[in-house]
Amino acid sequence: MKFINLLKKELRELINAQMIIGLVVSMSLLVLIGGIMGDAIEDAVSNSGDVYICDQDNTEFTKRVIENLNAMGYNVNEKSVTKEDSVEILEELNINSLIIIPKGFTEGILKNNAASELEYISRIKSTSAMASLRDGSTSAIESIKSIISNLLMQEGYGLSEADITVLENPVNLKEVTVVDKKSANVSASTIIGMASTQGMIVPIVIFILVMFTSQMIISTISTEKIDKTLETLLSAPVSRLSVLGAKMLAAAIVALINAVAYMIAFSSYMSGMLGSTLDTTAVIGEALTMSDILKELGLKLTAGGYILLGLQMFMTIMIALSVSLILGAMATDAKSAQTLVMPIMIFAMIPYMISLFMDVNSMSNIVKIFVWLIPFTHTFTAINNIMFGNWPVFWGGLAYQFVFFIVCMYFALKLFTSDKIFTISLNLGQKMKLKKVKKG
Amino acid sequence: MSTILEVKDLSKQYSKVLAADNVSFSIDEGEIFALIGPNGAGKTTTIRMISTLIKPTSGDAIVNGYSINDKPEKVRESITYLPDEAGAYKNMTGYNYLKFMANIFTNDKDKAETYVKRAVEMCGLGDRLNEKIASYSRGMIRKLLLSRAVMTYPKLAILDEPTSGLDVINALEIRKIIKDLANKGMSFLISSHNMLEIEFVSDRVGIISKGKLLVVGKTEELKQRYNVANLEEVFERVVLEHEVY
Repeated sequence: MKFINLLKKELRELINAQMIIGLVVSMSLLVLIGGIMGDAIEDAVSNSGDVYICDQDNTEFTKRVIENLNAMGYNVNEKSVTKEDSVEILEELNINSLIIIPKGFTEGILKNNAASELEYISRIKSTSAMASLRDGSTSAIESIKSIISNLLMQEGYGLSEADITVLENPVNLKEVTVVDKKSANVSASTIIGMASTQGMIVPIVIFILVMFTSQMIISTISTEKIDKTLETLLSAPVSRLSVLGAKMLAAAIVALINAVAYMIAFSSYMSGMLGSTLDTTAVIGEALTMSDILKELGLKLTAGGYILLGLQMFMTIMIALSVSLILGAMATDAKSAQTLVMPIMIFAMIPYMISLFMDVNSMSNIVKIFVWLIPFTHTFTAINNIMFGNWPVFWGGLAYQFVFFIVCMYFALKLFTSDKIFTISLNLGQKMKLKKVKKG
Repeated sequence: MSTILEVKDLSKQYSKVLAADNVSFSIDEGEIFALIGPNGAGKTTTIRMISTLIKPTSGDAIVNGYSINDKPEKVRESITYLPDEAGAYKNMTGYNYLKFMANIFTNDKDKAETYVKRAVEMCGLGDRLNEKIASYSRGMIRKLLLSRAVMTYPKLAILDEPTSGLDVINALEIRKIIKDLANKGMSFLISSHNMLEIEFVSDRVGIISKGKLLVVGKTEELKQRYNVANLEEVFERVVLEHEVY
């Protein structure tokens, strides 16, 4: 009986309105992100059968290869090109990938008994996990290889058994990756793999910074309020603006030190990751480091890129601080101070998770606007926007963050210069209990 | 004797509660005035308005010649405020806390040093002042805060429950400090639940209930007026009388 009594008390302490709201919000959040990601995956899968091929060889053999590809369920769109430059070819056709069967392809295989070169040009627009799911070209290339092998095995084409064995791997793939207006002879998957390492670490750093700075300011404001040191300070001959300004500036300096330290560590981590020499099959002609390739494609963060990223991070920290000032003022005790960091966590989690898996810029307009309205989104997508040259989105996001910060600061100032700083509170559990008592 | 504080029809309306209702009283130089009343009577709201922490809905208070509505920054130069159950910055040492607060009250280094020296003597914490406040007992924190509140020799020291939660020895010490400073000309506005303490320490009392200041007078006068033995009984009679009528 005594144990049941104790258990009931503990459960009453733990299961309160704050806990229930937190649970509901977290569940809704996961459902929402799941829905957004599900739609994006569905969209990607529906496009995965689309293949664009330019058959410059135009022989019976290549026609049969394409027929077989169609028969395998691919939606093959044949294209012809007039340009030579990879960037111009994709721009001319307004597509993101193209398989080119060059002139002499059939001759190489059937007459010279050697592997022929197939060219694959692809454009990457982001480094998110979904970027590699955009169309069916990658699997189509593998299918072309097996179709050719099967055709040679089944029909011979006048080749001896020994030649057919040699032609088990009949295609050499020349991959060209296009990023914005630049191209490099390297596979898109290699680029996405390396660039996403760069793109994955930054959101983690931002998430840690946002949570750290928010927790810091909520804790300092709530402690001052609970310990009544704020009352002592605000009744002293010092302006409220100075009290608020000193708090903000101190937190911003600490956050900035953290941001710079993280950026230096991150930059050294990346140079270690990208310094290794690539295998010569990845880059035709010469052995380059991944760093050189990313630089060639404009995907390596330059000093200017790091400054812009730092600027974006700083603005994010300032937003987190101003929102935390308001939230911290609502704390009535240590427990509620812990709960108050939840809204920031949720609004950091949504863009963090989405940016890890998807390219926000290529989402549907409604979802995109919803995600863009969350100020932290612009920081999580900043590195992608800098790398892929999405400057209107980058600067627009930064401008929005600035406006958001000014609005939050305005409310924080209003709060600190009014009575509200002493009367405002967020204690849902207590309010509900009070209502019950009144009804009773 | 000049008037240090004059409270004129001070009212504060929160969304549904009238926390202070036309409260008026005054405090002279060197006087200890105590505001007593049950929980939620409006003591802290009145004190917070005088301390310029919250704005009155109507009415005014003149502190050392300055209006809390028009010149709150000037009022803050004349007062110090010690909130009920206040804490201090736990990561600071007691000495650094006093130094920090002294530098909030003045930009003059010499003045700040004088304030700190005065507080160090008054609080009697000795070498413990070099330890972090986190290691202090409740009584030590209260003594530190009280010495902080009076170290600048303000015209008016506003103390909300100055001895709450303290043992008899600590409470007696604090009462003695208040009395001594009042004799030197400092004025005090004190709120307390402890009627015995109020009877011992204050020159005049004001009894407040449901936001209204019901009675103001000297302790002895009030005891005679209500024909009772102590302030507790005066308080009971006044509150009951106003509930009936």
